[in-house]
Formats: sequence, C-alpha cells, structure tokens
Amino acid sequence: MPALIAARGRRWVAVLLAFVVVGSASSAWAASTLTPELVQLGRKIFADESLSASGKMSCATCHDPKFGHAQNNELAVQSGGASLDVPGFRSVPSLRYLNFNTPFFFASDGTPTGGFNRDGRANTLVEQAERPFLAAHEMANGDATSLVDKLSRASYADAFRSMFGADVFARVDTAFLAARYALSVYESTASEFRPFSSKYDLFLKGKLKLSAQELRGYVLFNNPNKGRCAACHLSTRQANGDPPVFTDYTYDNLGVPRNAAIPANADPLYFDMGLCGPERTDLANRRDLCGQFKVPTLRNVATRKVIFHNGYFKSLREALEFYVQRDTSPQKWYPLDAAGAVLKFNDVPPLLARNVNTSEGPYNRHPGEAPALSDIEIDDVMAFLATLTDGYDPVTNTADPARDVPAQ
Amino acid sequence: MKRNSLTLAILMSCTGLASNAHADDTKLQAEVDALRAEVVELRGLVHELQSQRAPAQAASPVSGAALPNAPLPSAFAAANAVPAPAVSQPAATTAAGDAIPGTGGSGLALGANTSLWGYGQLDYNRPTKRISDTQADLTRAVIGFNHVFDENTRVYGELEWEHAVASSTDRGESEVEQLYVEHALAQNYGMRVGLTLVPLGLLNEHHEPGNFYGVERNFVEQAIIPSTWREGGVSMYGNTDWGFNWNVGIGTGPNLGAWDPAADEGRLSPLGSIHQELQLAKARDPSLYAAANWQGVPGLLLGGGVFTGKIGQGDAVLPVNRSRLILSEAHLRWQPGPFDFSALYTRGTISNTQDLNLQFLGQPTPVPKSFWGGYVQGAWRALEWGSDSSLSPFLRYEMFNTAAAYATQPQGLGTAPLPTQRVWTLGANYYLNPNVVFKVDYQKFRYEDLVLGYGNRFDLGLGYQF
Repeated sequence: MPALIAARGRRWVAVLLAFVVVGSASSAWAASTLTPELVQLGRKIFADESLSASGKMSCATCHDPKFGHAQNNELAVQSGGASLDVPGFRSVPSLRYLNFNTPFFFASDGTPTGGFNRDGRANTLVEQAERPFLAAHEMANGDATSLVDKLSRASYADAFRSMFGADVFARVDTAFLAARYALSVYESTASEFRPFSSKYDLFLKGKLKLSAQELRGYVLFNNPNKGRCAACHLSTRQANGDPPVFTDYTYDNLGVPRNAAIPANADPLYFDMGLCGPERTDLANRRDLCGQFKVPTLRNVATRKVIFHNGYFKSLREALEFYVQRDTSPQKWYPLDAAGAVLKFNDVPPLLARNVNTSEGPYNRHPGEAPALSDIEIDDVMAFLATLTDGYDPVTNTADPARDVPAQ
Repeated sequence: MKRNSLTLAILMSCTGLASNAHADDTKLQAEVDALRAEVVELRGLVHELQSQRAPAQAASPVSGAALPNAPLPSAFAAANAVPAPAVSQPAATTAAGDAIPGTGGSGLALGANTSLWGYGQLDYNRPTKRISDTQADLTRAVIGFNHVFDENTRVYGELEWEHAVASSTDRGESEVEQLYVEHALAQNYGMRVGLTLVPLGLLNEHHEPGNFYGVERNFVEQAIIPSTWREGGVSMYGNTDWGFNWNVGIGTGPNLGAWDPAADEGRLSPLGSIHQELQLAKARDPSLYAAANWQGVPGLLLGGGVFTGKIGQGDAVLPVNRSRLILSEAHLRWQPGPFDFSALYTRGTISNTQDLNLQFLGQPTPVPKSFWGGYVQGAWRALEWGSDSSLSPFLRYEMFNTAAAYATQPQGLGTAPLPTQRVWTLGANYYLNPNVVFKVDYQKFRYEDLVLGYGNRFDLGLGYQF
C-alpha cells in the first residue's frame, strides 16, 4: 500500500513537473517574441524611408509620431509612389491606441464594429501593414520581393536575421510577414502608441481638476441632449478599468461634404463609400452600409491637421460646427444646385443619401432650428477636447504628443 | 424544552399544585405524570390545528412571512415527508420559521432526503397609451431543490430561467438565485453558507407569485430593494419563543466600480445595476446585514433591517473606495380576518460619490447620493369558494425615487435629481387553489418615462408554485 501511494505520488510529481516545464517553455517563447529587441526592430522599420520606392517615405512620414502618429500637414490626402506624386484617397488616421481595437465583426444588433483602416477591412495590424508597403500611392514597392530586397540592405538587417533566421531574406513571404509582425508588436506595445498622458487622464486619476470651461465642455460632450459625442466617443473607463479611448470602434455615416481637394473626386461618378467600397470589397452588396466610416479616437484630436476620412475640415472648430449645424444650416456646408437648392450629402450617390445618419442627435434637427450647441458651447467643447492631447505638462498647462516619443 | 417547562409551570400554578408543595410525594408524582400526559396530548392537538391551518395560510399571500414559529421537532424531517396530494399536509419550515417552498403539500419528493419545488410567472402588459408596446412574457420559470443530509443539515437551491429563452443571442437569463448549505446549531438558531437572499423587505425572500398582489412585483421592492437580491456569504438566523426572528450575515455586496453612467439601469434601480449576484463577484470589501421580524401577535408582522458595506471593492482606478452603501427598511403587515394590510419604507445612501460623478459629468445616469421608496397596500379576501379558491381585490400606492439627490458638483454642471414617481395599482388576485393564482391589475403612474418603462398599463398574469 505505501508503495502504491508512493507510486501515485511520483506520478503526480511527474505530472506537475510536466506542467511546470510546459508552462515555463511557453512563457519563455512568449517573452522571446515580445522582447524589447523586437519592439526596437519594429521602431526602425516604422521610421525607415529606404523601404519605399521613392526612398523618401516611411510609415512615420504620414503617421508622424510628433503629431500623435497622424499626418503633420494640411493636405487632404498624402501622395506616394516613386516620385511622391501619386495621390491617395483618404486622410491619414492616427495609429495611437489601436491596441484596443478588435478584428472586424458585426455586433449582435448588426452594428459593424472593429477592424483596421477607415473601412475596417484589415483584421489585424499585421494584415493592415501590407497595403502601405505595396500600394502605388504609398510606399509603392509593388510586391513583397521588392520590399524584402530593401529590408535585406537595411542597417538592421543583421538583427532581422538573428531574430527570424539567417536565410529569412531568401524566404520572401516569411520576411514580409516578419517585418509586419515586428511593426504590429511595436505599434501595439510601445508606450508612445498608448501613453495615456493627457490632462484628461490625470483628471481621471484624480491628480488634477479640469478648469470650469473644460468641465462645461465635458458636460456638453457627454450630455445626450447636447453634443451627445460620448454616444460613440466613449468617455468613461473601459469595462476592464482601462482609460477610455474615445471611440466605440463602430461606424457612422455623417454626410461629410465632398472634398474637391482629393484628385479622385474629380470624377463625378467616384464616391468613397467606406464599408461598401470601392477599396473594401467584401461588403459591396450591403448598400445600407455605404458611406459609413470608422469612428476614430478623439485623443489628440486637437492636434489634427485635417479631420474626417476625406480631410475636408482643417480646423476642429469647423468640424464641431458641422456636427451641430449640418441640418440646421445646410447651406453653410453644401453647394447649391443651379436652382439654388442645397445639394446636401453631396459625397454619397444621391440614391444612397438616405444612409446618412439623420436620426440621432446632434444631427436630427431641421433648417431654422437651434443647433445642439451654441458658439459659446462649442468653445467649451473645444476646451475639453484639448484635454485629450497626449504629453500634458501640468507646470505649463500645455500638451504635446511629441513629448511621448522617446529619443532615438 | 424551555417552552415545555414553562407550560408545566403554568399548569402547575393553575391547578394549585404549587401551594401543596408539602403534599404526599407519591400523589404529587402521579399528578405530574397525569399532567405530562395531558401536555403530550395538547401538543398533538396543537400540531393537528397547525396542519389544518396550513392550507389557509398558503391561500393567503406571504404565507412564509406570516407563519408562526412552529416548534416542529425537526424541520428537516418534516421537509422530507413524502408529500401527499392532500393539501392538509403541514408546510415544513426552516428552523427560522420560514416556509420551505415545495413542502406545503404538492412538492415532488425524490427519495427520502430530496425534494423538488418550483414556481413560475407569466405576464401580459398592455400600456394604455402605447398599445404597440404591449408585451407578453414568460417572466420566470423556477426549479428549486432541497436535500437533507441529516436532521440538522441541508442544501437548498433555486435555479431560474427568465424570459423563456436564454442564449448569447437572446434576452433571457439563466441564473442560480439561491444555493446554500444550512446547518441548525440548535432548534432555534443555525447558520447558512452560500448564496442567500438578503432578508430585507416583505418581498425579497418571498417572491413567488402567489405571495404578492399584482401581476408585477411592487416597484419599491424592485427599484430600491433590488429583488431578487442575493449575496454570497455566511449568515446566522434564529427565533425566540416570543415570535422574534433574526438574521445577520456577512458577505459580498454591490460593486460601484461597475456603475455605467451612460446606461439607464442605474436610474431604474441603483443597486440592481451594480449588484453582483455572486457572478465572479468582486469581494474585497465585505458587507454586513441584519434583519429582524416580530410575529408575537397572530396576524401581525413587524420588521426591518439594514444592509451596509463599502462598495468600491478595491477598485484600483475609480475614486470609489471610500463609498459606503447603507440601505435600511422597515415594514409592517397586518392580516385581521379577511383583510391584509402592509406598508414598507426603505431608504438608501451611497457616500463619497462626488469625485466619481465628476468623471460622469453630463452623462444621463450619475450615481445617486440617496434613493428611497415606500408603499401602503390593502387587500381583502372578498370571496371564497370552498376551502381552496378565493378572490382578493387590492389597492396599492407607491412612492419612490431612485435618485433623490446627487452629490454637489461645480455650479451649473450638476444633474437635477429625478422626480418622485407615484404609482397606484388596483387589481385582484384570484387563487384557483392555494398554489395557482390568476392576476389582473391597472397601474397608473404619476409621470411617464418611456425609457424606464413607466406608463399607465393594464396587466394580466398567471403564477403557480408547488
């Protein structure tokens, strides 16, 4: 009997040891794939202009870390290609706080949610990074071979080999995947992509008080009968206690005016309709989704050079005015036809204009009615939105996203 | 034993034996023996009377609360008795005197030590102004079980399905409402460990549809006392010979960190929106409760209780750790003859909500500083058919406010308290038999709130229990 017990005991010890070994092996693997070296490699790829056909464009060119990883100029769309003269189709979204995003899915009530790019067509950051490397209007490598060739000559090529294998550059698909993987790890783990260093974050931690105007703006931002911004740009902590990211990752159709500054819009039959195409193709038959673009984070929104998917607005104040006056004063935002009638929602095909959100506040009003926010109230909301800028310094009461970027 | 000695002493003094202390010992012994026999006979008669009284109790709402503290030799032995179809079988009670559902005559015995019981509720609500919102619902179906391990120990559980279908894509819920082990430490006190009902109010512990008037549970005991409110922990209960029941406990409490200022639930029921139902409950800060009821006069029930605890639960990021909940209530129920009157008042406070609400500025549902409610209700068993069927019209008036006050915020930025809702409910319960009830009522609201479901309506309901 004691022998039997001893045998059982040994068996348990063996099982336990097996668990310990497997456990430590898997954590060792996890640790190796997320080492600072990998993040550092991702950081170098992100900033490497030599990876483009022009030799002058990196990820950071458009997603400038000092501007909250969004664009640093007022162009509606950026131009890429070998000579940096091939215009794009959409403004540059910020890459900050994307680690909280999810793959694209339809929620139980049918709401499209998550996904990367403004139309959510990429399910992961690894998938998302494919297009900028290859697309003709961006880094324009054309194919993976061309990109991997550039990678093999980069200053960090040896580090790349040591991490992914001495022959990695001979395996083009693997090398391309590895580069995107390093980028995604960098983008989703490096602190500069999710610093939570704004004045609002300090307010949430109870470290400081917002000014009276900022608090008034916060009320207007949240109030369902005023700005109602928080309905999509969630302003309270996430369910797991993380600070809010000011988006619910859903999609909306705001009827933003058509932007003639986008060369593609010269064709009157061209419409960028977000979820239903033309760039995204899998939802082309969902006509009800035409015109919907992803709700962006409002963190650092006060530093944006252009606003909305087509970069139509160049100031935050204009964008806020558009929100609340789109339906009360449509003539202010849209052109008139020959007969003097307002061509409302002129950036979606006329038959799909019904898709534009006109049922929820603040855009559920009519010409002549008072806007949901007055000019003074817009000032207050702007004061609040400025508290969402990263890199806040309590001493000077200023904020700058560039402060979160570590020195190279 | 205490009671037997007392009875003996009374009888002794009545018969003058005390004054004959010096009489012949043998004679005295004989007389004592004779009296003992009489006491035994009387005890049997009392038991018989209680058996006959049980069906009438079952026919009247809140039978559990109204039951006297029957000194059954063993509550659990009674609970184990194979239920006979005859409704004259006595309802078993716990040592605390509460009726064990399903042992009142028609529960299902599974072997010698286990019984099943259950109840269900189906509702039809027809708003008078918005008829398109008319709704029919299988509100709840419940299966309960009671398993006795020995004379003093049992496990008791209640499993519930709400709204007919529960799945990831449906709105129904599947839940364990009660699950605890009870151990009688003596005949008149014991302890429970597990998921138990919080013993506040008239309804929370006696929420079977036959036990309340009206199709829906009253608003006060949903909005303020969040019935069915249960917490996990340890409690002790007991009763005294003079009709005093008590129950004290320590365990889990609500989680203020889960407050959602953008949702409506917090205005519907502040505690209902943050109670945890022992579902991976955050449990750093234990809550305490104490409740007592006095039933020393037949037909009268007086009681009250308090629940308190820090409800921040150690939340690392929200300024909630200093917040304390205090919910107290007092109630009265008086059942003279065919009449049935009850009244209840309850008030809750949550302290230190100012900093938290500052983060919720402008949102529709900040955390209230205080909330309260009360109701008075009168019912009359107007008609009876045979010993089983009866019709009881009733009238209830409720006042409640789920956000009577908010903590102060910077000038001009605070949220106005909610208006106090007032609801009249006029209706009737028709007991086809003590365990099957048909209900009808009309509810008139002081103000309409479509979001919270407040609007005049006509209701029909069916309830059963076994």
